Amino acid sequence: MISGLTLGERQTAVCLSLALLVLGVIFAGAGQGDPLGVHGFIIAAYAVVVMGAVITGYYAPAPGADRLTQYYDDPTKFGIIVAMLWAIFGMFVGDWVAWLLAYPDMTFDAAWASFGRLRPVHTTGVIFGFGGNALIATSYHVVQRTSRARLPDQLSPWVVLIGYNLFCLLAVSGYLIGITQSKEYAEPEWYADILLVIVWVTYFLLYIRTLARRQEPHIYVANWYYMAFILVVAVLHIVNNLAVPVSLTEAKSYSLFAGVQDAMTQWWYGHNAVAFFLTAGFLGMMYYYLPKRAGRPIYSYRMSIVGFWGITFFYMWAGSHHLHYTALPLWVQNLGMTFSVMLLVPSWIAAGNALMTLNGAWTRVRDDATLRFMAMAAVFYGLSTFEGSFMAIRPVNSLSHYTDWTIGHVHAGTLGWVSMIVFGTFYSLVPWMWKVERMYSRKLVEWHFWLAMAGTLIYVFAMWNSGIIQGLMWRTYNDGGTLAYSFVDSLVAMHPYYIARAVGGFLFFLGPVIGLYNILMTIRLSRETAGTGIAEMPVVALKAGE
Amino acid sequence: MSMPFDHETLVAFSKSFGLFYLIAMSVIAVVYALWPANQAQFDRAAEQIFDDGDTPCQ
Amino acid sequence: MFTRTHYKLERHTIGFAVAIIVVSAIGGLFEIAPLFTIDETVETAPDMRLYTPLELAGRNIYIREGCYACHSQMIRTLRDEVERYGPYSLAVESKYDHPMLWGSKRTGPDLARIGGKYSDAWQVAHLYNPRDVVPQSVMPAYRWLARNKLRTEDLGRHLIAQRRVGVPYTDDMIAHAEQDAKAQVDPDSDNAEGVSERYGEATHVRAFDGNPRDVTEMDALVAYLQILGRLTDAAYQNKDKGE
Ligand code: HEC
Ligand code: HEM
Ligand code: HEM
Repeated sequence: MISGLTLGERQTAVCLSLALLVLGVIFAGAGQGDPLGVHGFIIAAYAVVVMGAVITGYYAPAPGADRLTQYYDDPTKFGIIVAMLWAIFGMFVGDWVAWLLAYPDMTFDAAWASFGRLRPVHTTGVIFGFGGNALIATSYHVVQRTSRARLPDQLSPWVVLIGYNLFCLLAVSGYLIGITQSKEYAEPEWYADILLVIVWVTYFLLYIRTLARRQEPHIYVANWYYMAFILVVAVLHIVNNLAVPVSLTEAKSYSLFAGVQDAMTQWWYGHNAVAFFLTAGFLGMMYYYLPKRAGRPIYSYRMSIVGFWGITFFYMWAGSHHLHYTALPLWVQNLGMTFSVMLLVPSWIAAGNALMTLNGAWTRVRDDATLRFMAMAAVFYGLSTFEGSFMAIRPVNSLSHYTDWTIGHVHAGTLGWVSMIVFGTFYSLVPWMWKVERMYSRKLVEWHFWLAMAGTLIYVFAMWNSGIIQGLMWRTYNDGGTLAYSFVDSLVAMHPYYIARAVGGFLFFLGPVIGLYNILMTIRLSRETAGTGIAEMPVVALKAGE
Repeated sequence: MSMPFDHETLVAFSKSFGLFYLIAMSVIAVVYALWPANQAQFDRAAEQIFDDGDTPCQ
Repeated sequence: MFTRTHYKLERHTIGFAVAIIVVSAIGGLFEIAPLFTIDETVETAPDMRLYTPLELAGRNIYIREGCYACHSQMIRTLRDEVERYGPYSLAVESKYDHPMLWGSKRTGPDLARIGGKYSDAWQVAHLYNPRDVVPQSVMPAYRWLARNKLRTEDLGRHLIAQRRVGVPYTDDMIAHAEQDAKAQVDPDSDNAEGVSERYGEATHVRAFDGNPRDVTEMDALVAYLQILGRLTDAAYQNKDKGE
């Protein structure tokens, strides 16, 4: 990996990791007695590992000018592996917290192992660790191919990946030792937030510099979605994380906003994190890899453009559907509801466009589990956005809010849509990246698909059931006009569903384990067959039953 | 945090100008997507991802 | 050609980025802008008092342990919620909450009005092991809270930071932050009087975990729970029963 960097870039890399090391040491020293000190050590250790890697490869021959005749894919390869590792970690923790809700004594009297600290480890691990790395890795691949231009340099894609993963690491380790802002999906504290801003600016510059070198006048639509993901996440992140630290040597900070203002800012952020992290970025992925794998151009390019602006515009207004019947003024609630329902239009345009692209290729979908992953992802995208628009209607939300129904909706989106589009993409991309004809084992891809399907369905149905039962029990009155059930009654009713969910989640978790094995074996295969001159992009030639 | 405008003014502005803004944006997006002269470049873009030869232009 | 476009950021790309910002962020701003003045719409509650340093520390423990992942602090304007949990939440009640802890999931019951519902001893026993008190509970046991001494020397700095974001702590409160935290669990100490002076007569000054000598994290968390929904009477004067 280091061998791809020019000598100058290697020197800069050493300097950057040295700077990081110094920062870590300062934090470790100044933050003594505060959790910040622990993070100082983690930053320093991370810097040492990075520096070690650079120095080990430092004297490898520098790449010649002929590097410019090839796309730069090392960071994409790295990102794929790291995303899979985060998937395994994040989903393992997800399943662990699922079991904790059925068997709460598995905390073993250790603070770090309690539900409240582990739950954000799960959400951050899967959303930012798995989802984020997958987005970054694929965006590098897509932007180069659709621009027919190489990344402008070799260093900045690494700065983004290494910096981003440090952010994720600080986030999850922070929760375990008690560092959190408590804002959902924005839990990391001020210094990690600043790090992410730096990473994100680098990412944005890298992306537009590549686009600016493109050989096509028109920017392919997948890039639009990736760009919206990068830009809007930057805006959201900065605004929602405005805070005043207790001091520069302490991890704790206090949010600039309070009460109702903070609630609105948080859910403006939270909902748009769903929109631009969990939706726009992955739509970008879908608009490139699905047509590519199917060997058919996107059904309607025009629809993809209308859908894009619709999503970019409508989502911004929808956040207040997280705050129905609360102390938020009613007109803001109604605004959020209206826009959420309108959102269904661009959402279904995207889902429909994907499915129509496959029209005529259904035999391929039947025979190719990779393409089937992408097709199911589009179906689940359509499903979860329909469900979301429905749940945003105030009376429906009065039942669903606070219950497991929300959890069911979340995982229909994240397991069915986000994870499946990533897995489909990775199974297409890995053979291209490592220049082999196909994945090591098609059977294992098939297994992964069915585990993911079974896991998702069990999870989602369990949560729909428990959520609706919960919501109904809380509001049921008996003949005397008093509430019929105590809270504990509803808790007891959840128990079987929590076990079912944990079992479904375990099946789903097995998927990425198998997937990583399959990917690593594919890489081994590529090493063995290296130099035999196998076709570089065999996908269009993919035959059924091969 | 208090700002130079009072709440009612801002709400009124959001509700009126925001609506025009929404409509204008939607119209612009749809017109751009359906503009006949753009069809050719869209078609090309949709097909372009299948260009073989996995190397950057020189 | 490679050289022709080399590092030249041409119009389209930048224009495109600007368009995304204009459509999304500016669009969003129309919705967000009124929120920066939304505090003008918040009811007034002249009797509203501030969190004592001990309660603030308890709140930070609530955040640290992720209690918000299972508990909401926002009673909606729905009849069944009002009957189950008490008068629905008003915006003013969280006006000093940086950040708010309204929550999004009720694995456990709402806690917006938990203050005064149970005795200190019940709260301590429940946090020590919820299943000792409620056998069917799935809430984690928080025994370490009873073992951990509360960090108090930094509380002054916390109040300063709070003041920076708009909470009206006085110089007097800031200067006595650490002393007040210790005194609030030790009603017989000389400094106990000062706590009531600075934060109001209704402030709970007592040994929350039963031991007045040490200030534990348990003390802080229970002090916080016991004040939830009690910083102002505004909500109790509201007789609206919800939809
Ligand atoms: C895994 C989810 C979970 C977490 C995390 C959690 N709780 Fe609970 N909590 C529950 C459940 C379920 C109940 C209802 C059963 C019971 O009373 O134990 C409950 C009940 C309570 C009650 C009694 C409410 C009433 O009206 O009877 C209080 C007080 C409470 N929790 C405080 C806390 C605090 C403080 C924390 C953080 C230190 C916390 N909880 C963390 C699930 C949780
Ligand atoms: C093995 C698969 C998974 C399992 C078993 C699992 C389990 C869980 C559990 C138990 C919770 C807590 C629910 C609660 O508090 O009641 C949760 C929350 C959550 N999970 Fe997962 N999860 C899985 C995969 C994923 C993936 C892949 C993503 C995202 C890409 C994801 C995103 C989330 C989010 C966003 C929440 C918070 C929901 C909310 O606050 O409303 N999960 N998950
Ligand atoms: C048209 C599109 C969508 C709409 C209108 C929508 C609407 C909603 C609504 C109403 C809620 C419940 C809020 C509450 O009661 O607290 C919700 C929660 C959520 N949705 Fe969606 N949704 C959409 C699509 C998606 C997709 C595609 C995903 C994931 C990939 C997703 C992820 C989430 C998450 C993570 C939450 C939980 C937030 C939390 O409470 O922590 N949504 N959504």
